Amino acid sequence: MGIKSLTAIVILINVLQLEARPISYSGGSTFMMESNNMQDSAYYHYSPTYKYSLGIQHIIKDKYFNSNYSYLRLTYLLNRKNTQNSQRNLYFQSGLSPDDLEHYFYGTHGDWETRRLFAGFGYKKTMLKTLDYIEQYLQVGVAPYIGEYGDLHTWLMLKSRKNDLTNNWDTYPVLKFFKGNALVELGYSDTSNWDIHLMYRF
Amino acid sequence: MKKNYYVFLMMLSISAAAQDHAMHGMEGHDHEGHLHDTMVDGKLLVVNPERFDRFVSTLKGKQVAIISVSGMVCDFCARGIEKTFVKDKSVLKVDVDLSGGKVLIAYSLDKKINFEEIKKKILSNGQNATDLQVVKI
Repeated sequence: MGIKSLTAIVILINVLQLEARPISYSGGSTFMMESNNMQDSAYYHYSPTYKYSLGIQHIIKDKYFNSNYSYLRLTYLLNRKNTQNSQRNLYFQSGLSPDDLEHYFYGTHGDWETRRLFAGFGYKKTMLKTLDYIEQYLQVGVAPYIGEYGDLHTWLMLKSRKNDLTNNWDTYPVLKFFKGNALVELGYSDTSNWDIHLMYRF
Repeated sequence: MKKNYYVFLMMLSISAAAQDHAMHGMEGHDHEGHLHDTMVDGKLLVVNPERFDRFVSTLKGKQVAIISVSGMVCDFCARGIEKTFVKDKSVLKVDVDLSGGKVLIAYSLDKKINFEEIKKKILSNGQNATDLQVVKI
């Protein structure tokens, strides 16, 4: 596997981990940190309205290449359907590296959620100078209990993802906890080992 | 794959512990004589009784707006709504009944409650306010 392919995989894994909470409430900020076997990263975004967010994502340490880089990111809510017991969303997402204007990504992702069930998908195309690739994911989840406002909330999830570079599906369990403004997400795969994702909203 | 299975079992155990935590304090409740049994504009208040009674316990001589909200399916959605209303100086107290899809807002009696204004605030968080009932405490 070439260095460029591995670079692309590093970027892809990073981007995948940060799609779960793309936009906050109006005037809200979100800070995320992620650590896995490939990298440590941080992502901050601000939502001027509930329809879009602007942010910067920095790869603090690319553990494979021992390097670092950033994206400027925009996420836009294309469509939302609220019902009494559910919410469905469709987002456009994009990111551009300020160090290399030929390095960017764009795509869409969506989700449907009740207080008990979750289903989501994503599709993204990433462009590098000499390489572009598509990645997709599907995710489903169930809340084992229904917590009240302010309780500790838990989700048991299963995520499958595929990209053009490896051309196979990687499926693994994800456990998500959140309480108040904080969220912790733990996923494990034989292929990519532990993924830890922390998020705080303010 | 086998390793994944064991990891998943471990996660389930953690989840069970979290469930115990969340269920703590959900004991039985006597409904007799409580305000949540009140009819307002011909409609029965549909609220979490414990949550509602706790909310109004210190609000004698005030009024409470009970807003039905669609799309409020998670704690994060609710938190944004709470933060928006807390910024309003005329608001005395805010609570969210996530199970019932209600937001409870306490005002003084002289406050004229404007549903359109409330709708705008809820929409700024990405949810929709669908109904309003006002109860004098």
